[in-house]
Amino acid sequence: MGSSLTVVRAGASARAEPTGRSVSGTFEQRRRRVGIGFVLPALLVLAAVLGFPIVQSLLLAMQHVRLAAGHMHVRWIGWENYTDLLADDSFVLALANSIFFSLGEVVLVTSIGLGAALLLNHRLGRFGILRVLLIVPWAIAPVANAVLWKWILNANYGVLNAVLKSLGIIDHYVVWLGEPMRALTLLLLVDVWKSVPFIALLFLAGLQRIPRILYRAAVLDGANGWQRFRFVTLPGLRNAITIAVVLQTIWSLRVFDLVFVLTRGGPADGTVLLNFLAYRVTFNFLDIGSGAAIANVIFAMSFLLAILYIRLLQPTKREPAS
Amino acid sequence: MSALRGRLGARLGPWLCDAGVIVAIGVFVVWSIAPLVWLVLSSILPQLSLIARPPQISPVHWTLDNYVTVIGSAAALGQGMLNSFIVASFTTAVALALGAPAAYALARLSVPRSDAVVLLILATQMLPAIAIAIPLFIVIARFGLIDTRLALIIVYLSFNLPIVIWILRGFFLGIPVGLERAAAVDGAGVIRTFWMIVLPISVPPLCAAVVFAFIESWNEFFFALILTRQNAETVPLVIAAFAGQYQTVFGQMMAAAVISIAPVILLAILSRNHIVRGFAEGMLKG
Amino acid sequence: MRDDITHLFSRRTLLQGAAGAAAIGGFSGLASRPARAAETALDVFAPLPPDPSPPGAAKFGEAAFAAWQQAHDAKVKYELLAWPQLHDRMATAFASGTSEWDVVYMCAWVPEFIDFIVPYADKLPPSTVADMPVSSFKTVTWDGKRYGAVFTLSLLTLFYNTEHFEIAGLKEPPKTWDDLKRYTKELTRDGRYGWVLDYADSAGIGGTASYWMCFLQQAGGTMYGPDGEPVFNSDAGVAALQMMMDLMKLGTDPGSMSYAGINDATNVLLAGRASMMMNWPYMWKPAQDPKQSKIIGKLGGAILPAGPAGSASIDGTDAWTVTATCKDPALATKLIDFYLSPEVQKRQALDTGWLPIRISVLGDPEVQKALPNASIVLEQAKHPYNSFVTQNYNQITQAIGTEIQKALQGRQSAKQAMANASEQVTQIIKHS
Repeated sequence: MGSSLTVVRAGASARAEPTGRSVSGTFEQRRRRVGIGFVLPALLVLAAVLGFPIVQSLLLAMQHVRLAAGHMHVRWIGWENYTDLLADDSFVLALANSIFFSLGEVVLVTSIGLGAALLLNHRLGRFGILRVLLIVPWAIAPVANAVLWKWILNANYGVLNAVLKSLGIIDHYVVWLGEPMRALTLLLLVDVWKSVPFIALLFLAGLQRIPRILYRAAVLDGANGWQRFRFVTLPGLRNAITIAVVLQTIWSLRVFDLVFVLTRGGPADGTVLLNFLAYRVTFNFLDIGSGAAIANVIFAMSFLLAILYIRLLQPTKREPAS
Repeated sequence: MSALRGRLGARLGPWLCDAGVIVAIGVFVVWSIAPLVWLVLSSILPQLSLIARPPQISPVHWTLDNYVTVIGSAAALGQGMLNSFIVASFTTAVALALGAPAAYALARLSVPRSDAVVLLILATQMLPAIAIAIPLFIVIARFGLIDTRLALIIVYLSFNLPIVIWILRGFFLGIPVGLERAAAVDGAGVIRTFWMIVLPISVPPLCAAVVFAFIESWNEFFFALILTRQNAETVPLVIAAFAGQYQTVFGQMMAAAVISIAPVILLAILSRNHIVRGFAEGMLKG
Repeated sequence: MRDDITHLFSRRTLLQGAAGAAAIGGFSGLASRPARAAETALDVFAPLPPDPSPPGAAKFGEAAFAAWQQAHDAKVKYELLAWPQLHDRMATAFASGTSEWDVVYMCAWVPEFIDFIVPYADKLPPSTVADMPVSSFKTVTWDGKRYGAVFTLSLLTLFYNTEHFEIAGLKEPPKTWDDLKRYTKELTRDGRYGWVLDYADSAGIGGTASYWMCFLQQAGGTMYGPDGEPVFNSDAGVAALQMMMDLMKLGTDPGSMSYAGINDATNVLLAGRASMMMNWPYMWKPAQDPKQSKIIGKLGGAILPAGPAGSASIDGTDAWTVTATCKDPALATKLIDFYLSPEVQKRQALDTGWLPIRISVLGDPEVQKALPNASIVLEQAKHPYNSFVTQNYNQITQAIGTEIQKALQGRQSAKQAMANASEQVTQIIKHS
């Protein structure tokens, strides 16, 4: 069986693993040659498609590139786009909103996803139909999903108000998207709803891999339900949680459709997230350099957070076990 | 925890626990499907019922008008679904063809600096689409590929390859080394081992990769908006067309959405068991 | 022009000497585009119906359109896109220098894209131009040259529910700001609101800032001084915003703050749960459609209530332009002249509800009968309707709209909002 390193780390083990002394050096070299041959096409495709745009976006961020009055104004300005951003209130607001959104999303999606996975793994929850249901929110086209929620949350004829009022939970219709903080929280919840299915599936798969025998051993040791969860389930899911947290961080910083359809960043810029701001600056203001700078901030944040989470959740680098 | 609970729990505990689980499952089901119920309901209700307060959902008002209109008037929907299907299928197939060997090599074949390579591959997913849209557009336009399915396939490939590699690499790491050694002893080359031994036992993660890549390509909006015109328009654009500046034909839009998710759901149903196992094998091993 | 821009973009990249630069250098060699077809074909980029769309794309004037193509031995190819996505696709195509369109729909974007389009509108037949309101050219004129022709008279006017007026004992539409405030208050009852509008989106035509521009002009204010400097932080600017804030308090649907498109607000009026709103002429037709409207026969219209300086509105500015890369500018001009011809304009009005721009067609008895609001819009057109479109329009309206939203939420006074907005707009103008 393989070690339990994360996908990112596991490369080290892979290198060490396959060939012992019993296999000749030429065989090892041949494997390496074939390996490079296997990886190259994929890397070449990625480099060919994304290489130029990525380098270009890094360069654009160092230039004043602006489509104004029909002219493409281009001028090299170094870090000015970035320093300008720091002085820009809407950027600072968007940064704060994005941090709130990203943290909230990671925490909620991970915990709800975990809860859902535990339920679906329970003997009372193992119906195929439940699993298919789980996938549906993930399969709806994001545009349709956003418009659907826009109507659900409408302050005047939205069904959410109607349902909550008929259940006696609210007295008056609530303007769900009318105040910055409430609107942002609602957007967060909608995105959580959309993101939970994938993460829950991930955890469900993780749960099914935890050997039953560990639970039996824990019971014999007198562990109660919480202790079994804490000392068997959670460690068993550690890799799944790492992957979920990293992917969800990347995705939460890229949220765009919901903001675009539901609020357009309003009211009063209260729901402007970094990616929406990058869009607005690039495509509405046609300030392409500044938009690229914002995008690069998103890139840097994703990258640093990903590495940070990997470090936090995988504190020890274990040696390959096989 | 307490003595009281211990005594009571002996009798009531399991029963209460089951009740709790059932309630929790109920809550989860409602949370998951309530919005979907509304999606379907709004696709069979006339606009008037939808702007009523509260919305009039009684079956008296149900109608298939929205579906009739959408199917009848929008040849675009059929064309869009065809385009989406072709683009998603090809993307998925090529992503698999390129991703599987790459994942295998990164897992097993002593590729130099494979840690860094894998992180680099993950990093390509971190730059928002908006940042690369205009440069990418220039490249695609220079090759004269605007409004072709090929352009979408190429671009989507670059977004799905990393995911496919991630899933499959984790799985390949988990395959017992002994299998490959045995093959090597039998004189099989690396490629033959991969083809004859590794791939056949990797069906579940391959399925997971398929569903991933397919759903992502089927639903992608932003690049489809920028890179297509009329000919290669995909489903998300057709759906978005129901929301205009002055009017959103909500019911029809939802009908189109329901129609458009049917193939994806079908795929999900067909592969639901494989998906779960696929994730398990693929992403969690390692 | 197209090649210049592309070249500029790529040469710039080359100069940076980065790895990617070599790539595009290579692409330049491969950039041979397929040769253009020999027969005359025009590519037209336009919004999908029900937004303002040309004949043959929307369901009107199909026969005339086919006949025109035959007569001119031309093939017109439409590329249609949902309105909200038009600007993105256009910006990408223009910014990368690869637009292949000949005729392009514009909405307040003329100054932004000025170098990609040509001042063809002076070449339209004088008889056509003479039949169009002079002020309709305001938003498509730049440096004294006319770059576009507006094809539908689309001004904000007042729409109201006549039944609600009767119940409240209100005999005629509000004529002044005071009337409007009083009406809003009196009509807010029985779960209904006196006023509804969409305030969540700040920017662009139909954004919060553009609504405020109506009130601004009604108060006698203007956006820019003779040198292009912002002068809206005036008594008129503050009064205009104060008016919106007063309406908010007196009986605006609180959901207005969350509506991010006019159709969210329109639905509330059509459902009979709001009594008044500003809206575009297009709204008349859907309001008579039993599938969408509960207020059939109960919709009244009037010009916008007068502020201290009288009535005023803004222009929706739906216009046709000809691109700088147009394959056949003369033919493109002829096509637009065809779009503006009296017969097409009349069918446009009768079949789609989008009013004509031709004064003669607006006065046509058949049009007036089918669209009773035509005469109201024509009346509104006698008052100012400047949308103050500039090359930074999106950025400026975004800044102003955001400050207005804060004021409408009660987070700052009208005075503060105007001061903040003015400061930001000054910065934006200085930076560009």
